[in-house]
Amino acid sequence: MRAHPLLALLLVPLVPLAARRAEAERGSETRADVLYLWSGEQVRRLADGFATVLADVYWLRTVLYFGSQRAFAVQSNYTLLRPLIDITTSLDPRMEIAYRYGATFLAEQYPAGAGDPRAAIDVLRKGVERNPRSWALRQQLALFYFFFLDDARTASGILLEASRLPGAPPVLETLAADVMSRRGDRDTARALWKRIYDETEPGPMRDNAALHLAQLAALDGVDAIGRATAAFRGRTGRWPSSLDELRRAGLIQGNLTDPSGVAFDYNPETGQASVARTSELWRKDLGR
Amino acid sequence: MGGLTRVLAVASNTFRETVRERVLYNLVFFAILMTLSGLLLGQLSIRQDEKIIKDLGLAAMDGFGTLIAIFVGVGLVSKEIDRRSLFPLLAKPVRRSEFLLGKFAGLAFTLLVNVAVMAGGLYATLVLTGRRPDAGVLAAVYTIFLGLCMTVAVALLFSVFTSAALATVCTVSLVVAGRYADVLQHVREAAPGAPAWLVQAVYYAVPNFHLLDVKDHVVYGDPVGARALAALTAYAVVYMAVVLGIALFAFERREFT
Repeated sequence: MRAHPLLALLLVPLVPLAARRAEAERGSETRADVLYLWSGEQVRRLADGFATVLADVYWLRTVLYFGSQRAFAVQSNYTLLRPLIDITTSLDPRMEIAYRYGATFLAEQYPAGAGDPRAAIDVLRKGVERNPRSWALRQQLALFYFFFLDDARTASGILLEASRLPGAPPVLETLAADVMSRRGDRDTARALWKRIYDETEPGPMRDNAALHLAQLAALDGVDAIGRATAAFRGRTGRWPSSLDELRRAGLIQGNLTDPSGVAFDYNPETGQASVARTSELWRKDLGR
Repeated sequence: MGGLTRVLAVASNTFRETVRERVLYNLVFFAILMTLSGLLLGQLSIRQDEKIIKDLGLAAMDGFGTLIAIFVGVGLVSKEIDRRSLFPLLAKPVRRSEFLLGKFAGLAFTLLVNVAVMAGGLYATLVLTGRRPDAGVLAAVYTIFLGLCMTVAVALLFSVFTSAALATVCTVSLVVAGRYADVLQHVREAAPGAPAWLVQAVYYAVPNFHLLDVKDHVVYGDPVGARALAALTAYAVVYMAVVLGIALFAFERREFT
């Protein structure tokens, strides 16, 4: 009997089918996201000579992991995000993009990100240690201290350090002074996010900066409504029953929606407006 | 017929032989790798496609080249002995040293072609994905080629002494040790009892591929100066001269039965 080569080819699709059947029969569970090596230094040692290409592989894995958890997971779980970023940056300590985007992925509030700004700051600090001449990393570190930890003193100091590095834009020195003198000031936060937005190319980081700018604009809208309701109460002795009543009274004009186009929520008992929970701009601690 | 002409004749035969053995088929895989990386990485890597294309291209040159240098290199002499085609050759007016050097030069030329075509593929991928071709990458390509020549010399040395299988094991071991040469240099930090002279001797005995690895420098646009390249070339040439010298000495004295 002579075996025809085509027969082998025809049998190829049966291999995965048979494997799946065997897995099902054995009751084995396939885990999608497993990290076998948790130490970046170990991986770097094992991959000497090929460390940078392995860093690329881990970076792609980081991006895919973050994207899949954010977009497709029923309940996002970012447990592996930090070790993946650590391994990537240990394999290639000069890969600035991994520090910058990795920190952004970590800092954003859950479920859009891991909701762990302290881990994000650790990542950026590691980046600054390994790349002491990068003013952009320091600028982002300062922004994160200011925005996520409300630590204007540290943020200002880091911005001053960044401003002294070669190639740093002179505006960093002014920003450092602004951050120090106007703690928690929305305009200062806006100026910092605007810088990130202007400096980054289209992609997740720029989108993130745009989101923060839109949130700040939404908070401006909330404040404007607050001033109008206060004026209404001054005139009538009560809060307006709705935002429409406020508009009819001529105390506020234009669309009463946030920058994403969703109408603000309004509580007639307190006279307080807020970003609607249905809005993509809503975050639990927005405007804290 | 002069000595150099005979070396070139053996080298030319070796080149033809390696091409016949479909050694250059790895270029097809490289072409697929580069095409896929060019098409996909821009979407997946967030503005890191240029770095990844360079990293992948250089790592593939290094990796594939090393595999060819080891597995073809150890067979260059042992295969001739196993097939008994060496004996009629040595009966001709070809010295053993000319034969060995010809074999070395032939495989080195095959690797040069391999690396050159891959470098062309890497540049083509960069240009086709809208990136500026960066001449600095050539420094890494050159040092990769130097490392591959050193690997061939080591493979030839072991193939002169022992069987193809054992020569493969020995060459792979030495190449791996050479990639971790920096660890060897600092081994006394982990094992303070190790004699310093022994550590130094082992450090200088292994081919220092760590020293020749400038891939991460060129990928980030750091210049690799002409003096550094000259020093690396001098190191590789001296190391190869020593290894090939020992191989020639052993080959000259080997009894074939």
